[in-house]
Amino acid sequence: MVRNEKISARQFGILVALYSIGTTILIVPAVLAEEAKQDAWIAALLGVGIGIVLVGLFIAVGSLIPSMSLVELMEELLGKWLGKAVSLTFIFFALVTASELLYFVGNFITTQIMPETPMQSINIIFACVVVMGVRLGIETLARSAELLFPLFVFLFLVFVIFVSPQVKVENIQPVLEADFKNLLRAAIYFISVFSLPTVVLLMVYPASVNRPNEAKKNFFSGVIIAGVTLIIMIALSILVLGVTTTQLQIYPSYSLAKKINVGNFLQRIEIVMAGMWFISIFFKLSLYFYASVTGLAQTLNVKDYRFLTLPLGVVMVALSMLVHPNTLHSFEYNRETWLSYVSTYGLFLPLLLLGVYAFRRKGRQDMATSSNETKSE
Amino acid sequence: MIRNAALFFAVLTLLLFATGCWSRRELNDLAIVTGVAIDKIDNKYRVSVQVVDPGEAAGKKGSSGRSPVTLYDASGDTVFEVIRRMTTVTPRKLYFSHLRMFVLSEDLAREGIGKILDFFSRDHELRTDFYIVVSKGRAAKDIISILTPLEKNPSTKMFTSLEVSEKAWAPTVAIQLDELINDIVSEGKEPVLTGILIKGNPAIGKGKGNLETIDTPTNLQYGGIAVFKKDRMIGWLNEEESKGVSNLTNRLDSTVMEVACGNNGKLAVEVIRSNTKVKGKVKDGQPEIKVTIRTEANIGDVECQIDLMKSKTLYDLEIELEQKMKSDAERALSKAKKLKSDIFGFGEAIHRADPNYWQTVKKDWDKHFPSLPVRIKVDFKIRQLGTTGDSFQNKLKE
Repeated sequence: MVRNEKISARQFGILVALYSIGTTILIVPAVLAEEAKQDAWIAALLGVGIGIVLVGLFIAVGSLIPSMSLVELMEELLGKWLGKAVSLTFIFFALVTASELLYFVGNFITTQIMPETPMQSINIIFACVVVMGVRLGIETLARSAELLFPLFVFLFLVFVIFVSPQVKVENIQPVLEADFKNLLRAAIYFISVFSLPTVVLLMVYPASVNRPNEAKKNFFSGVIIAGVTLIIMIALSILVLGVTTTQLQIYPSYSLAKKINVGNFLQRIEIVMAGMWFISIFFKLSLYFYASVTGLAQTLNVKDYRFLTLPLGVVMVALSMLVHPNTLHSFEYNRETWLSYVSTYGLFLPLLLLGVYAFRRKGRQDMATSSNETKSE
Repeated sequence: MIRNAALFFAVLTLLLFATGCWSRRELNDLAIVTGVAIDKIDNKYRVSVQVVDPGEAAGKKGSSGRSPVTLYDASGDTVFEVIRRMTTVTPRKLYFSHLRMFVLSEDLAREGIGKILDFFSRDHELRTDFYIVVSKGRAAKDIISILTPLEKNPSTKMFTSLEVSEKAWAPTVAIQLDELINDIVSEGKEPVLTGILIKGNPAIGKGKGNLETIDTPTNLQYGGIAVFKKDRMIGWLNEEESKGVSNLTNRLDSTVMEVACGNNGKLAVEVIRSNTKVKGKVKDGQPEIKVTIRTEANIGDVECQIDLMKSKTLYDLEIELEQKMKSDAERALSKAKKLKSDIFGFGEAIHRADPNYWQTVKKDWDKHFPSLPVRIKVDFKIRQLGTTGDSFQNKLKE
């Protein structure tokens, strides 16, 4: 595999932040409000805390063999055939999730903005941009993230400033009423959307980052920036809309944006605000897709992954129409199936790889000279 | 080079197909709904919508004598069905994003409004920024059939009038959909809505004649607050009680209060700002509410003999006004207690103060509420006298 593409540590940090905000910003407030009521923001805080620990885990896996991506690492550590088999399931995971996100984009637009438009047309247009981005490579994606991030920050700040006059502090009182069990359940849901999918970034980090050590720091700060953004968003949803409305809405953040009204003049700007999550969802989707495409190329030992983007893009669009027959199915999937699916790759796989690595190194030390297998580059 | 140019033109042609949105609806395809009224007649919903006549509303070129808005109605079993059925009479499809007023008939409100609100919170076209009111003793349709002077669009008139009267007069509440739903669902707070009534002869109000005289024969007026229990209306509050509601729920911005002074004269003050704090407390298993109202006012109108040269006069007035405010609040409170409906959100205050205790009473809070001790403390301050000092009437006597 020729690896001529490198992104800077700063770009990586921005990608991490946008990736983690992704769809979380739109869907998570409703579920958290349902589980933890007015304490949803505490659950998010808890979730971000655990998320930071998970980043430590991902970095540990990434630093095992810094020149290899996750898929190559699996092949190296688990053996050729088992490694390839696990890689294929991982690629499937990334592709299905990418198509799920695509479904999500289509669903959001057809629910809130253009109900009569067929979802296919939205999905195809969005997928075109994603395929184009991935074809142009991770460097291009990272650079566009760098360009769009200030816009994201600007929209977010405008959002927060314009919504904050309507804050009612009583809405989050009494604080800490939810019992720990509910809080934990909410936090686990939060992690399943916010931190566990970050494992996909191991396809980029550290192999495609030019200064992996610096990127380590940015990995953390990216997750923290995303975490703070989400906590603010969740807190604002509850502070302004109240627990009941937040949990009843399918997209509470969008309803929140609808509340913006500055002096009966600056109002009805929610669609501008929606630009914010189109940015974050685009990067989340692109990175999932990038992971599945490069992963497949590496598993098949192909030098250049680019020719795979178009066929896989078509598959992704087709899958996006098939993954969920209706909205409720996607809710149930997100709340029941997703956690176990994502933790297979986001939690158990990294632990397994660390375990195998430690075991192998121990074995190597025992046999000191006889085996050079794992050292080969 | 040629290949690039060909590609460029191919992309350019593609652009032609990529213009505009799929579900676009141009302004001339829309029937902009500004007011909705719902009645229940023979177990069916009758939905009436007030639609802007764009040719008339546009304004400057002089009106052709047509009414600025028109009204359509239809009946059916569900709100959504009725609204779509209206396409059989409307020339265009109704567009709800600019809805301003939502009028419910009193009969419907007494039966329960929960069922009809779902459509309005589910449909993507609707926003939550319209006001909801209850028509007092009349069909809701009659309310939105009245033509109004000054504001061409009657719904806009109702909207701004409610906003202004809440700010400057107080005994009305401007409630929007999300707040109403929150209050219906909340266990420690019951909803209230402002009542609207027709002053004058409704038959005249429907015609253009209503706008042709200086003294408008028929007008729409807000009056009273409708008290709900969950989604069912259970009673009306009168003006004083309604003022009490504003006092107790921190809705009071500005209003005018009058007190008797001197020998059979009156004096009015203008409240310029007011802040209400509600604090719940549970002591030895007994809930208790403490309400602190801090109000500042200016002297607005002196219609009696009073010495405004001494500050002692103001202190006496302050005490009197404190009493007055307190009695308004107490009257509202006792009425609400009689109706067993916690419209002030005291249950939520108890919830905030002691979540554990709340768990034990929230199920039958309406039984606990009537015996809830509420201590109301008013701190009234008169700051300024207006542009004149002592009243010229005092000079008259001499």
